[in-house]
Amino acid sequence: MTTMDPRQQVEELLPFYALDALCDEERKLVEEYLADHPEARQQLESMGRAASALPYGVAPVEPPRGVKEALMARVTLDAEAQAHPSREISPQPSRRAFSFESFFRAFSLATAAIAIIWVLILNRQVSHLRSEITTLNGRLVEQSESLEQILQNLPQTNPIISVSLKGTDVQPQAQGQLIANPNDQSAVLVISGLPPLEPGRTYQVWLIGDAPVSAGLLTVDENGRSVLIITSEEAIGSFNSLGISIEPQAGSEQPTGEIVILSDLSEL
Amino acid sequence: MAKNKNATGVPMRINKESNRLRVPEQDISQRLSDEALAAQVAQGQPVALEALYDRYAATVLGVSLKVTGDQALAEDVLQETFWRVWKSASGYQSDRGTFTSWLFRIARNLAIDAYRRRSVRPQAVYSAEDHDPILENMPDPDMNVAEQTQLVLKNRQVRTALASLPQAQRQVIEMAFFHGMTRQEIAEATGEALGTIHTRARLALQKLRDQLDGEEFE
Repeated sequence: MTTMDPRQQVEELLPFYALDALCDEERKLVEEYLADHPEARQQLESMGRAASALPYGVAPVEPPRGVKEALMARVTLDAEAQAHPSREISPQPSRRAFSFESFFRAFSLATAAIAIIWVLILNRQVSHLRSEITTLNGRLVEQSESLEQILQNLPQTNPIISVSLKGTDVQPQAQGQLIANPNDQSAVLVISGLPPLEPGRTYQVWLIGDAPVSAGLLTVDENGRSVLIITSEEAIGSFNSLGISIEPQAGSEQPTGEIVILSDLSEL
Repeated sequence: MAKNKNATGVPMRINKESNRLRVPEQDISQRLSDEALAAQVAQGQPVALEALYDRYAATVLGVSLKVTGDQALAEDVLQETFWRVWKSASGYQSDRGTFTSWLFRIARNLAIDAYRRRSVRPQAVYSAEDHDPILENMPDPDMNVAEQTQLVLKNRQVRTALASLPQAQRQVIEMAFFHGMTRQEIAEATGEALGTIHTRARLALQKLRDQLDGEEFE
């Protein structure tokens, strides 16, 4: 049986180190190797970038309001407790000669003093906690009322929908997303793959029902990306399609230039 | 859905300039970085923790839910994750990695622990049946539009990169990262040789990195 070369062994372990999926013993082995091998650290850094992006690949899930409220109530209490720590009782050193009676008297007095202070501290804490409970009860009532309002409104609320947008033959690499609640009068438009235009020209966004209506001018960055909030006096879901054309700098009343993106909005 | 067509053809009164993303852009330029907020959390400022929560709670809950497959358990993990951030922010060292790497590692480990304590079937992170996760869930409404948009873009970039991997490579990544399985457990579960699992994990991470670099993922 041959013993595996440490370099080869660590190279096999590195991806799982980056994925945080090694047992303690294996992790220790890798870390000891990394300490002396900068080239392995470079490899790991490269893999780590890919691994650390993985959480973003999971669909985000909107947390219920109650989670944040409970967390922040807990944090607020903790912050207040840290801001007002209980005082420590440090007995004064005695210079008198030791005697049992004096020691007993001192001990009794100290015990009584500690007990009294402790009671005062406890009373203060109880009072503080009662106040917190009252505050939290108030918040709970407010949240219940808000929740009822939300529940009442739920039947009229539509989900957020994202529609994919595609470039025309003029700019086939262009693409984007329109993210909107169909009943809302605003939406987020995310575009990529559109080249920056020469001075004096601009992209113009059109919402198209029976006729195209300007939804704003769009400027892309050097990477061809842009994000635009579209607002409208009519529900976004009432339009049939979305287009983007190249227009003069000030924009046009109707599309006059080349159409670079045109997509159906029937999914809304 | 019955569509209400724009039958009148009356142009909407849209102020073109007002459509620009001014407020969120200002937010981006003025907002504190994750690391700066983490430093404030370490100094005991709840407002900083709240800002971090608003930015990342939806992603943390998404990860927790994928790992545990249980909504209530995932919400517990979410709260515990940010509680750990609150209690141990002073231990976070920005020179050893980004705040999000640290945050997501806490969430993932808590979720895996919670899952192992309660045997609940986890969900696949990516499956061919997934039509578009953006349609299913949207980020916390407390996030501003720019943050929501960034999150949506990052989600799309990573999912596109994951979708480009061969299924066998993606499976290894999922099992290791989201289910906390060791390489030996993965080999046993898939019936493949350990060497094959090593190769798949290495190739998967390399390809993911190349894809994300190509898309200028930040």
